[in-house]
Amino acid sequence: MDPVAVHTPMAASRLRTLQALGVFCGFAAGAWLGGAEAPIKLVSAGISPLTVSLIMVAGVFLARWSIPALIHGTSYVSKDVCQAPHLIIWAVLAGCMWAVANTMTIYAIRDVGLSIAFPLWNTNSLLGIFWGFVLFNELRQAGWSRWLGVLGGALGMLGGATLLAFASSSQAPAGKAALGVVAALGAGILWGTMYIPYRKAYLTGMNPLSFITFFTFGELFTMTILAVSYVGAVPLWHEIVGARTVLFWLMLGGLVWVIGDLFQQYAAKYVGISRGVPLSNTNQIWGLLWGILVFHELQGGSQRVYAQVIGGSILMALGAVAIALSSATGREHSRWQDAAEREGKRYGIEGAYVQASMEGREFEAGSSGRSLIDWLLVGGVTAIFVAMAAMARLPRVDIDLRWAAAVSAAMLLLLAGCGIALWRTTHFS
Amino acid sequence: MNDKNVRTRPGSLFSTVIRDLHFWIPLLVLLAGLLFLRELR
Repeated sequence: MDPVAVHTPMAASRLRTLQALGVFCGFAAGAWLGGAEAPIKLVSAGISPLTVSLIMVAGVFLARWSIPALIHGTSYVSKDVCQAPHLIIWAVLAGCMWAVANTMTIYAIRDVGLSIAFPLWNTNSLLGIFWGFVLFNELRQAGWSRWLGVLGGALGMLGGATLLAFASSSQAPAGKAALGVVAALGAGILWGTMYIPYRKAYLTGMNPLSFITFFTFGELFTMTILAVSYVGAVPLWHEIVGARTVLFWLMLGGLVWVIGDLFQQYAAKYVGISRGVPLSNTNQIWGLLWGILVFHELQGGSQRVYAQVIGGSILMALGAVAIALSSATGREHSRWQDAAEREGKRYGIEGAYVQASMEGREFEAGSSGRSLIDWLLVGGVTAIFVAMAAMARLPRVDIDLRWAAAVSAAMLLLLAGCGIALWRTTHFS
Repeated sequence: MNDKNVRTRPGSLFSTVIRDLHFWIPLLVLLAGLLFLRELR
């Protein structure tokens, strides 16, 4: 069998279906990634940002192992990794980047607030487009209308980010705002570049469920090193013990984030990073909903600040939608296959494996199944979450519970809809 | 040809990744991010 030839054109109807699925995944990712940021508001409860980040990552670690085990079983993951073992290194590197970026966002939220920091780090989509074009042939032979949609959308997002940066100077104390803005943009650069490993993985055929499993090692390792070296092992432990009543909420944030990230990974796989990343950046709208409706952010602010924050957010969202509507044509997809062929050649990956993955099919049908280990994993993680929930108390922050329930219900609807679509179309391939 | 022979061997796994120029972009960004985080503290 040819180890590198993957260049059989995909049927037009299948391409359209997968593009639509990728777009749906991008919107679902936005909802869940946005919802995951809400627990960071607990930073104001006196816990250091690094400890908050570490606890969230612990939740992420547990979820990243249990969700793939629940969907396909860990044996599926190990078989997948055997096909492209080099991606373990890429996944760990991406996890390290995520941890550093996430820590930066916590400093950014502390200095300029969630509603403002959020859209600023979402400029990562511009970098995603850039890397997608330069390294992975995205938008090549896409035609002028697609270019216009993507570039126009990118400029709209940049305009929105600029508006929000102006608003930040009237929100935060002098001296802090600038650092907060730089921290948010720094997180955007890290996350934007993190999509290189993502695209690398999905062009060469890895299943998102496998990728995130190894991603989490880099994440947890980096966060632990950062937290221990910055806070100190003993103070860190005392802080974690002292925060036991909010551990559940932070770990829940990690779990919610994993679901969002999983959808984002599928979006990156099926529509590429130049479209998938902006789509999942609609999390900014969800962040705004949580911030304003549930946490009463911006209450008492001037009308000008409201206009800047809301106008900037809408502008960014419109830009993302324009990019999303410029889906890949058959000719452009053929260039993606060129990039996949290049990667397959470089790493010696079987062509049939890459081809099956690009078409959203199983490479070895019927090869997965859940074992006792998988059920123990899922049961153990559930028990940890239940134990944390038993210790938990609702933090003393001003929360509107009715709005929290309404936004949560909308997120759950998207989870169900997109999960079913993914299963029916690709069996989570 | 046997596919197993073509696939990247574990011993050469890291060196293949290191020779991939794409690898250095996220690595350098990560190092810069760590340095900036020190400043943020």
